[in-house]
Amino acid sequence: MTLHSGEHKKIHDLHPEEAIAPGSALCAGCGGLEGIRLALKELGENVLIANAAGCFTLLSVFPFTPFKGSWLYTTMAAPVPAAQGVRDALDIRREAGRLAEEDDFQVMVVAGDGSSADMGLAPTSAAIHRHLDFLYFCYDNEAYGNTGFQLSGASPYGSATQTAPATAGHPAGAELGKKDLFEIWKAQNPPYIATVSPREPIDLSNKFARARGMKGARLFLCLSPCPTGWGFDPKETHTIAKLAVDTGIFPLKEYIDGQVVHTRVPKKRVPVENYLERQKRFRHLFEPTRQDEVIARIQQGVDSYWAHYE
Amino acid sequence: MLRVRLHGRGGQGIKTASQILGSAAFLAGHQAQDFPLYGAERRGAPIVAFARIDDAPILERGPIAIPDLLLIGDDTLLEDPQVAPACGADEWTTIFINTEQEALKLKDRLSLPGLPVVCSLGPLTRKHLGDPRILSVSLAAAGGRLSGRVSLDHLNEAIDIELGALGLDRQTLKKNQDLAAEVFAALSPAVFEERQEKPLVAGQLKVLEQQEVAQAAPLITATGNMQERKTGNWRVQHPVIDYGECNNCLICYARCPEGVIAADAEGKPVIDYDHCKGCLICAQECPRHAIRTLWERESHEQR
Repeated sequence: MTLHSGEHKKIHDLHPEEAIAPGSALCAGCGGLEGIRLALKELGENVLIANAAGCFTLLSVFPFTPFKGSWLYTTMAAPVPAAQGVRDALDIRREAGRLAEEDDFQVMVVAGDGSSADMGLAPTSAAIHRHLDFLYFCYDNEAYGNTGFQLSGASPYGSATQTAPATAGHPAGAELGKKDLFEIWKAQNPPYIATVSPREPIDLSNKFARARGMKGARLFLCLSPCPTGWGFDPKETHTIAKLAVDTGIFPLKEYIDGQVVHTRVPKKRVPVENYLERQKRFRHLFEPTRQDEVIARIQQGVDSYWAHYE
Repeated sequence: MLRVRLHGRGGQGIKTASQILGSAAFLAGHQAQDFPLYGAERRGAPIVAFARIDDAPILERGPIAIPDLLLIGDDTLLEDPQVAPACGADEWTTIFINTEQEALKLKDRLSLPGLPVVCSLGPLTRKHLGDPRILSVSLAAAGGRLSGRVSLDHLNEAIDIELGALGLDRQTLKKNQDLAAEVFAALSPAVFEERQEKPLVAGQLKVLEQQEVAQAAPLITATGNMQERKTGNWRVQHPVIDYGECNNCLICYARCPEGVIAADAEGKPVIDYDHCKGCLICAQECPRHAIRTLWERESHEQR
């Protein structure tokens, strides 16, 4: 497929070809699948995916693959070392003149938030430090979704997960906050970091188009609404994704040339409870009794984030 | 021993139905075992669950190939060759199908070994729970009643235990118990005769020979072959584009996570129903509300 060049402005600019074939066993309405589908429209076929164990294990199940390019399956902690191995092998072949430039490909790590924020974080940090030339796509559904939605380092404060349910002793559910992977990565100054939303295909596509031509560690954090784990009807995936942006909970931004730029700033932020109340994982904040202090703390977290930029 | 096999789709409560049935049998003083079987299946995908009920300790394990009681929760699975829900049923099997279709027609069309018990659980479930698709209690009640092994009291107690564990409030539990009572009253116990076991015949032993790595390693050389798997059978509702209203904005194409909406030569969006999982994002997101949704059954009738 020939890649789109130039700035995307409208839906008709999206690449008409699908880089992922249908038929995978991912849940109907998967927000993460929409994210990687749009991403690969920009990146094309010349991508090798190093996939950490997680929901996206289901993308490629032997003897079937939805990809036109290669896919390498790794343990939860090891997609980045796998990417390093592949990149090194390609570089050696390039240097030895045994691989033409047009036959070379990008290496992309695909990992969930459990792998990205918990188990695989140390090797990722090491790879950024070594200036490894790779893309990293994190589909963040804010828990270990594939195994039944257990607490991860990316589960937000106030959400209920299987291992952090709302109980009499722990009425908020998850009591720890979400790790800020954007800031963790930014501290190592890689050439590119972006947050992307499946509900904003133009924004997402432009970010991948920008990163495509760069070298070094390029990281994408994709908020991936999960009908199964978050508890909403699959048709509402984009409604939830939109509310995450409109409430300011999920800021769309990129880090480029040492600067953080917000690519979509909600003009007037919608109250966080509009986002929370539509999801079963936050229902305990509203029923049987409303937990105003928890909701207020979530709102305050969002407000204080934006206060830095206003 | 009574061997029960349940079929349905992820999200309908098939696993929970097997748990309620197992617990009810246990509360009735029987030995019981219940478990689902799934790997990579997800919401909407075909699911199977099992229960074994006996008065002696149950030493048998694993999936049930030849069920005594077969509970088919979703009639859209009946003709699906990948699921083949009636597989293993013989003349001693009681087959229950949640359907509006007629028993005799189903028996003939599907070559079933006997006349199935049919009952449409949808309207009853909708009446009590507001959604016709949630089968956890109605299918468990149907199974419990047909089994003849449990009373309504046992079933209600099992509902309290199993659904209570999921965090349902008292009022919702009561609605489920009202539903159970109505399903219970609509059916009567089936007669289970002693199955005459056919002797097992050993097949020829196949010796697997070592292959070269290029053949034996899990390499996939046909790229994009995932589309051989038709996920259209996950769908319970069916999006239909009204081309009179559609203005080819392609929002539906952009928003479809599966990438199963493509623009045709004239720029019109076309849905690939072989793979559409029925998430209905397209219908929800269409700015002109030009995508209607039909229940799969209605769409079958229209075709």
